[in-house]
Amino acid sequence: MGTILDLHSHSESSEDSRAPVEAYLNWIRLRRDERPVDGIVLTEHRKFDRDADYRELEDRFGLVVMRASEVETDYGHMLVFGVNGELLHRFDFANVHLNAQELIDAAAQSGAVVVPCHPGRPTIGLWEHYRHREPLRNVVAVEVLNGGSRKGEELQSRELAETHGYRMVGGSDSHLVSLIGLCATRFEADIRTMEELVRELRDGRYDAIDFRPGRRSPQRSHTASDV
Amino acid sequence: MVTRAPAKTFETVVIGEMLGPHAIVITREQARNYALACGMSTPRFMSDEDARREEGLPAMLTPGNMTLGILAKLVTDWLGSGSGQLARIGTTFRSFVHPGVELTLHGFVTHTDQAARSADLDVWMENEDGERLVVGTATVAFGPAE
Repeated sequence: MGTILDLHSHSESSEDSRAPVEAYLNWIRLRRDERPVDGIVLTEHRKFDRDADYRELEDRFGLVVMRASEVETDYGHMLVFGVNGELLHRFDFANVHLNAQELIDAAAQSGAVVVPCHPGRPTIGLWEHYRHREPLRNVVAVEVLNGGSRKGEELQSRELAETHGYRMVGGSDSHLVSLIGLCATRFEADIRTMEELVRELRDGRYDAIDFRPGRRSPQRSHTASDV
Repeated sequence: MVTRAPAKTFETVVIGEMLGPHAIVITREQARNYALACGMSTPRFMSDEDARREEGLPAMLTPGNMTLGILAKLVTDWLGSGSGQLARIGTTFRSFVHPGVELTLHGFVTHTDQAARSADLDVWMENEDGERLVVGTATVAFGPAE
C-alpha cells in the first residue's frame, strides 16, 4: 500500500506562517487528485509543540498529522523527527547555532533521526558548509525536493545526496495553506506513527516525489498599472 | 487592462477559488517613480547603474511596499465594488524583485468564516522560474447579509 507524507510544513505555530492545520488538511482534501498525500509532518521553526493534539482533525479528515521540528545548526537547517524528552533536555531548540554532529548522534541514540533540509540553499544549506568543512557522519537522508526552492537549489541538493550516498526525501516547506503537499516523500511501508516514520527514514525504502504543476499560461497584461 | 470582476459577495466565495494568475512587468520607471513618491531616493530604487555602483546589487529593486500594494490590488480587483473589503494583508519578502522582468500574481481562497463573514487568502508573486519572491496572506471581510 505505502504512504505519501509531506515531511516539511509550518503551521501558524511558526512565527512566519499563518496557516492553520485544519486549513492544510482541508486543502489536501480539496486537492487530493493532484496531491495524493496521506498526511503531513509539522516541522515548526526552532521549537517542538509537545502538547499539540491533532487527533480530532486526523479523524475528521482521514489524514495523518505528526509533529517534528526544524532547527538551525552549524551545518544549516535540519528536520528532527522523533523529538523526545532526551533531545529536548540536551538541546535548546531555539539556539540557532546547534552543533549538527552532536544533534545527529544524540538523535540516533534516542530513537530520533535528523534530516538536513534544502541542502542546496545558500547559507542555510548543507552543501555550502561541505565546501569548507568535513562532511557530517551518520546522515541517512537529505531533502532534495523543497517547495520553496529557488532555481538550481534542487540540482545542488541531488548532487550532494548522490555524492555522499544519502537517501532523498521531499517536503513542501509550506508556510501558505495552498502550497501544502506540493513536494512529499513516498514510502513503501504503511506509516501511521512517528516511531514508524523514524524507522522507515533510517531503514526503509522511499523516494522524493514532486506534485508541483507545470507552469500555467497566465492572462497577459503589460505593466503594473494594468493589474 | 484586467477587467474588474463583478462585485464579490460572501455567499459566492468558495474555498479553492483562484485569483489570477496575472502576468505583469513592473517597469524601471514605475519602480523609480513609486520610490520617489514615497521619499525613498536611495540608489537601489533609482537605476541599475546606481544600484550596482552604490550598493553592489545586481540590478535596481522594486520597493517592497510597491509589491505589497500590487498584491493588495490583486485582492481588491477580485472583490470588485461590493461590500467586501480588504481587512488585512501581510507579506514576506523572500527575494529581490527586479523591475523589467515578467512576474506572475497568484492567489487562492483558503478559508471562510461564516460567523465573521470573512475569508482568508494566500497571495504571492513569482518570477518566470516559478520562484515565489513575495508571499503573503490576506483577509477580506464582507458586510452584514442583506
